[in-house]
Amino acid sequence: MAKCTIDGKEVEFTPGENLIKVAKRAGVDIPVFCYHPGLTVVAQCRMCYVEVEKMPKLQTACSTNAAEGMVVKTTSEAVKKGREGTMEFLLLNHPLDCPICDKAGECDLQDNSFGSGSAYMRHSEERRTYVDVDMGDVIQKNMNRCIHCTRCIRFGDEIAGIHEMVAIKRGNNIDITTIDGKQLQTEYAGNYSDICPTGSLTLKDFRFKKRAWMLKKTDTVCEGCSKGCNMEIQHEGNAIYRCVPRENLEINKYWMCDEGRFNYHYTQDPARILNPVQKVGAAWSKITWDQGLSALKSETNAVNTLFLLGTDLTLEEMSAIRETVTRNHKNAKLLSFGTHGVETSAQDKSQDQILKMKSKTSNLMGAEKLGIEALQGKAKADVVVVFRGGRAQLPAIESKKTIGVGVFLEKEVTSFDVILPGLAFTEKDGTVINHQGKEQRLKRAVLPREKCKAIPEVLMLLLNQKTREVLA
Amino acid sequence: MEKQLSNKFYEAMKKLEPRYPNKKALILPALHEAQKEWGWLPKEVLAEIGEYIGVHAAQIREVASFYTMYNLNPVGKNHLRICTNVACCLRGADDLMSYAERKLGIKCGETTSDGMFTLSEEECLGACTTAPAMMANDDYVENLDINSLNAYIEKVKNER
Ligand code: SF4
Ligand code: SF4
Ligand code: FES
Repeated sequence: MAKCTIDGKEVEFTPGENLIKVAKRAGVDIPVFCYHPGLTVVAQCRMCYVEVEKMPKLQTACSTNAAEGMVVKTTSEAVKKGREGTMEFLLLNHPLDCPICDKAGECDLQDNSFGSGSAYMRHSEERRTYVDVDMGDVIQKNMNRCIHCTRCIRFGDEIAGIHEMVAIKRGNNIDITTIDGKQLQTEYAGNYSDICPTGSLTLKDFRFKKRAWMLKKTDTVCEGCSKGCNMEIQHEGNAIYRCVPRENLEINKYWMCDEGRFNYHYTQDPARILNPVQKVGAAWSKITWDQGLSALKSETNAVNTLFLLGTDLTLEEMSAIRETVTRNHKNAKLLSFGTHGVETSAQDKSQDQILKMKSKTSNLMGAEKLGIEALQGKAKADVVVVFRGGRAQLPAIESKKTIGVGVFLEKEVTSFDVILPGLAFTEKDGTVINHQGKEQRLKRAVLPREKCKAIPEVLMLLLNQKTREVLA
Repeated sequence: MEKQLSNKFYEAMKKLEPRYPNKKALILPALHEAQKEWGWLPKEVLAEIGEYIGVHAAQIREVASFYTMYNLNPVGKNHLRICTNVACCLRGADDLMSYAERKLGIKCGETTSDGMFTLSEEECLGACTTAPAMMANDDYVENLDINSLNAYIEKVKNER
C-alpha cells in the first residue's frame, strides 16, 4: 500500500484520499472550514494550510491528495503563520459575539481561532453589518457571523438537490443568502445549521434555548421512517432540546430530514397521555394501573379480540406481545399497522431520492421478520387492543371496546375507552430493522415520565396478579 | 413566462455555442448580450438565461453579481465608472469621484433624475499605467484630472 509521512509518522493511504483524511488516521487534526467530507472540495477558506516538502508554497490539505513518499508538516512555523493569517482575515468582520451565539461551544470558528489564531487583533476599522434574514420555519440567518465557506450552498445543490442558497456580490460585500430572500424550500433545512461552521445559520427550534455544552448526548436512531437515520438526542434535565444526525456512511451519511429532526416534539407534547385513564362520558378520568390492567385482562377474555401492533415498536416489544398473544389468547388475531398505503416492505419505496422513505415507522421490516401480518383496511372486532410506539398512523377502528397501550396524544384517541401509557422511542432501549434489513439500537435518552410503563412490563404485570398488587 | 429576450439574442447564442466545451461557459457572453438588449439585467431576464443555459437562476445571479460590469439595477444613458483601486486612488481618484458627485448632483451608485448619468465606483479597470481611469459605457477615459473629467461630462451632455 502507498505510504506518506505526516508530522514524522508514516501513514498508509488509498490513492485519491486527501491529506485531511490521511492525517486524521495518523492522529493529526487539520483545521478546516469549507471542507466537509460529504460535499465537493472547493479549497476556499485557506484554513487547512500544510507544508509539503518540495512544494514551494503552503498547500491546502483539503485539495491536495496524498502521494507516495509525500512528506507533510502541519506544525511548522510557515504553517502556523499561514493559518494565523487566514484566521485574522476570517475574523475581520466577525462580531465576536460568542456569548450570545448558539454555536458557541461547538463552533469551528471558535475552535480554530483558539487553536490557530492570534490572541491579538490589529484591525480597528468598522465592521460590515447585516440584518438577520428569516429563511422560513427552520433557519434564521445571521450574516455577520458568516465566513463564506459556501458549505450551505453546496449542501443545497449537491445533497438536497436545490440550489437555494447563493453568494451574491464578492469580496467584502459578499452576501450568502437565499435567492431574492426567499424562504428555504428543502425538507432537509436543519442540516444547514449543522454544517455551518459558524453561528450564521441558526436553527429556529433551538435558538437561545440551551448552551451547547450543557447538553448530554445519547446515540440513537430516528424513528421517523424506515430509513433509520442515525442520530443523537441532546437533552438536559430529562428534557430534549434537539436531535442531530450522526455519521453513518451506509445509511444517512451525515444528514437527516426535518421531519425526523423535529419528530421528538410529540414525546413532550402537553396533550400526551401520561397516566392510565378511562373514558367516562366524553372525558378522560385517571385510574390506577391495577384498574387499567384489570380492564385489559377482562376485556381481552372476550371471544372476538383483535390485537394491533404498531410497526413503530421495537423488536423486543413486538416479540413480547406476540408471545403473550399466542400463549394466552389462542383465538385472538395479531396484526400490524403503521403507514396508510404502505402495509408491506415491498410497498416501501424511497420518497424523494434523498433519505425519506414512504413507511413512516421505523420497524416495518422487523414486524415482517417476526411474521406478523399487516392489517388491511379497517380494524373490526368486539375488542381491539392497540399497542403503539407513538408514530404509527392509527387505522379506522370499529369495535365495542378499544384499549390503547403505548404513546398517544389526547386528540388521537377520542374513540378509545382505556389508555395505558407507554414509553416513546426516546425513553427506551430496543432494536429496529431498517428498510435495508440493518438492525440498529435505540437508546434511552430520557427517563419515562409520570406513570408511563414499558410494554414488556405491562405484559408481565398482566400475567402476574400478585406483582401487580404490590406494584400498583 | 413571457419571453424577455429577443430572437436576436438566441441567434447570437446559437452562433457562440460551438465555441465552448459546454453550455455553462455561455453564462458570461449571454449576460453581455442580454445587457446589450436591456441596458441592465432584471430578475426575469436572469431567470430566462438560467432556463436557456440549464442552471438554476440563482447561479446566474451569483455570476452576474460577482462582476461589476453587469448592472443589476437600471442605469442612465451614460454609465461612468471611476476606478478607485490602488493606482488610481494614489493619483487622485477620490477627488475625481467627489468632483463627479458634485457636478452631477448625485452620490456614487445613483442616477441623475433625467436618466443621463449613473455614477459608480470600480475595482481596478486594469488601466494602472494610465491612472486615474474611468469607464464610460464601453469606452475607457484615461489620464483623468478634474479638468478633463469636467470636459468629458460637458461633451456628453451636449451630445444629447
Ligand atoms: S452561512 Fe455558514 S455554511 Fe453558509 S457560507 Fe456562511 S459560514 Fe458557510
Ligand atoms: S429520513 Fe426517515 S429516518 Fe431519516 S431523519 Fe428523516 S424520518 Fe428520520
Ligand atoms: S478546508 Fe481547505 S481550504 Fe477550506
